[in-house]
Amino acid sequence: MSAVEEMENTPNSVLEEPEEEKGSSEYVEGEADMEEDEPVRGGYLFYRDRKEWADLEPVPQDDGPNPVVKIAYSDRFTDVYDYFRALLKNDEKSDRAFALTAEAIDLNAANYTVWHYRRILLQALEKDLREEMIYITAIIEDQPKNYQVWHHRRMVVEWLNDPSDELQFIAEILSQDAKNYHAWQHRQWVIQEYNLWDGELEYVEELLEEDVRNNSAWNQRHYVISHTTSYSPPEILEREVQYSIKQIKKAPHNESAWNYLKGILQAKGLSSYPGLLEQVEELRETYCSPYLLGFLVDYYEDALETNNNKYNQTETLNKALELCELLAQEKDTIRREYWRYVARSLQSKYGSGEISSPSSSNPTPMEQQETPSSD
Amino acid sequence: MSNVFFHPKDLHKLETKLQEKQAKEEEESERLKKQIYFLKDRHVRFFQRCLQVLPERYSSYETSRLTIVFFALSGLDVLDALEVVDKPSLIEWIYSLQVVPTEDQSNLGRCGFRGSSHIGVPYSTSKGPGSPHPYDSGHVAMTYTGLACLIILGDDLSRVNKEACLAGLKALQLEDGSFYSVPEGSENDMRFVYCAACICYMLDDWSGMDCMKAIDYIRKSMSYDNGIGQGAGLESHGGSTFCAIATLCLMGKLEDKFSERELNRIRRWCILRQQNGFHGRPNKPVDTCYSFWVGATLELLDVFQYTHFEKNRNYILSTQDSLVGGFAKWPDSHPGKITAPVCVCSHEYI
Repeated sequence: MSAVEEMENTPNSVLEEPEEEKGSSEYVEGEADMEEDEPVRGGYLFYRDRKEWADLEPVPQDDGPNPVVKIAYSDRFTDVYDYFRALLKNDEKSDRAFALTAEAIDLNAANYTVWHYRRILLQALEKDLREEMIYITAIIEDQPKNYQVWHHRRMVVEWLNDPSDELQFIAEILSQDAKNYHAWQHRQWVIQEYNLWDGELEYVEELLEEDVRNNSAWNQRHYVISHTTSYSPPEILEREVQYSIKQIKKAPHNESAWNYLKGILQAKGLSSYPGLLEQVEELRETYCSPYLLGFLVDYYEDALETNNNKYNQTETLNKALELCELLAQEKDTIRREYWRYVARSLQSKYGSGEISSPSSSNPTPMEQQETPSSD
Repeated sequence: MSNVFFHPKDLHKLETKLQEKQAKEEEESERLKKQIYFLKDRHVRFFQRCLQVLPERYSSYETSRLTIVFFALSGLDVLDALEVVDKPSLIEWIYSLQVVPTEDQSNLGRCGFRGSSHIGVPYSTSKGPGSPHPYDSGHVAMTYTGLACLIILGDDLSRVNKEACLAGLKALQLEDGSFYSVPEGSENDMRFVYCAACICYMLDDWSGMDCMKAIDYIRKSMSYDNGIGQGAGLESHGGSTFCAIATLCLMGKLEDKFSERELNRIRRWCILRQQNGFHGRPNKPVDTCYSFWVGATLELLDVFQYTHFEKNRNYILSTQDSLVGGFAKWPDSHPGKITAPVCVCSHEYI
């Protein structure tokens, strides 16, 4: 069996599907009823058989005597791209070239050379960029995880110097996949480039209402605030701390909310905030999670580091070590070895050189694999 | 069992149920056997087939075929099975992808390696000057993987025009320290910073990039949550975190440019990615490829030893395709080429 056949006939599981390729036929008007011996498939005419293309010599791909990772293209695919390569070689700037780029894109929207060439043509032929926005909108809807299409959109927006459709368009894409990295990246670019900060915090909040675990939305929240009011004004910081705590109460086991809370406070040092420890300890009873406990470990570590005599170092260290052991044994067992490593590091850095307790012993990787797991 | 008398009809039903249960258990045991064992030979054959012919539905990989070769060769290398490939032929093919300077050297800023023959330049194995073409240029990820493949295959890089590659690389760096992938312009992000660092490392020549600017870009890409995004302000992500940390390691500057406190914070972010396998961002589903991206980062940070090896291994094996070879993103899904070798690598870690 040839390699292609083996791939095709593999029952049950086939190779991971890349983005589905849509097939669109280019029907040449009036040719469908031709009877001549030109090969016609349901009305479609290959470029090699089109009279208006007869002046161009198609350029095949050349992989030499021993091709590797060769893709088995259909006749139609090869035909389109052989003509694309011909146009490219001659650097032809014409309407027929422009039309062909659309067909080449339809067959493979990941070919960055085709997109680049299309942009050259858009400018050289002074094409209607509003039309191009409509075109690229449809393509992105169809293939929202393709890098080239988003880059193309960005170029067209820049040329038009008009971002007015962007936020709504991106919101539409995010409504289908709220974590699409390309969409968020484009959104951040548009907002920063064209100063479209107004309303973004409200948009973020809407998304967090829909899914409080949407890490991309939390990230955007931080993005907006750091670029507008910043976290410096105490009333802003307090508002954000309270917001985070509120969201934690709604969904305690949510790493994103805890990362946000810690993130906005860690620059000044967690232990520098009066009342913070109490607020978090209060949450512990009803809204405990490995993230809450990890937060406390970091709090105590910061207290140890700052060492401003507000705290009894030994007591603080012991609290931190206890939490590490609690996490290791019970609350975050998948990271057992990690939490014990954290404990050892704390002990070594802040301990007073006393004999370490059995729970913070240092097993070698071999030893740890032999220990029967209790989870 | 309680003292119950069974009606013959019920007894028959019970027997049937027991038989069904036994059959299910046997099926489950067979399935588990396939999961428990890493099917090395299947994977070797999977990589071999990747190197031959792919169906048309893989057309989106045309411009990056060289990266597929890299993943297949890396996978075979890790599995100690490189003897199955025809090294000399492969080396020729890879050299045919090098964009070499033209007679008048006017294209130096466009040199490097192509991902494939898709432009239609006539086949030439890097012997003699290049033929001018208005749109022929290298791609940073292809220059990286091209060089890496040559090295894996034991080539001495003697046909690589190092100056040209470095000139081509320099042309791609932006003011903010990040890189485009091609001189014609493209998106720019941490992936290409990593590719650039790999190229400089393999050519043993850091004149191809402004390291200070690249490091600045990396530091600015650290998120409030201590992971690293594709660029400043962007969401922290397992892939970009790997690219950033690996770049600093290649430069020999990891401990220089991040404080111990920062490194500990990055370690924490990374280690929290383990769910059983790993995911790439908080609150996202796991995906086998992150066992590599995050696993490798943890190893570079010296703390991979503290992850849960068994859960990671079991997850990876659950995505193993026992029929076709390779690994999928998730269990019961279809194997990808990209994911496969990275999983092989991360499995080999364990």
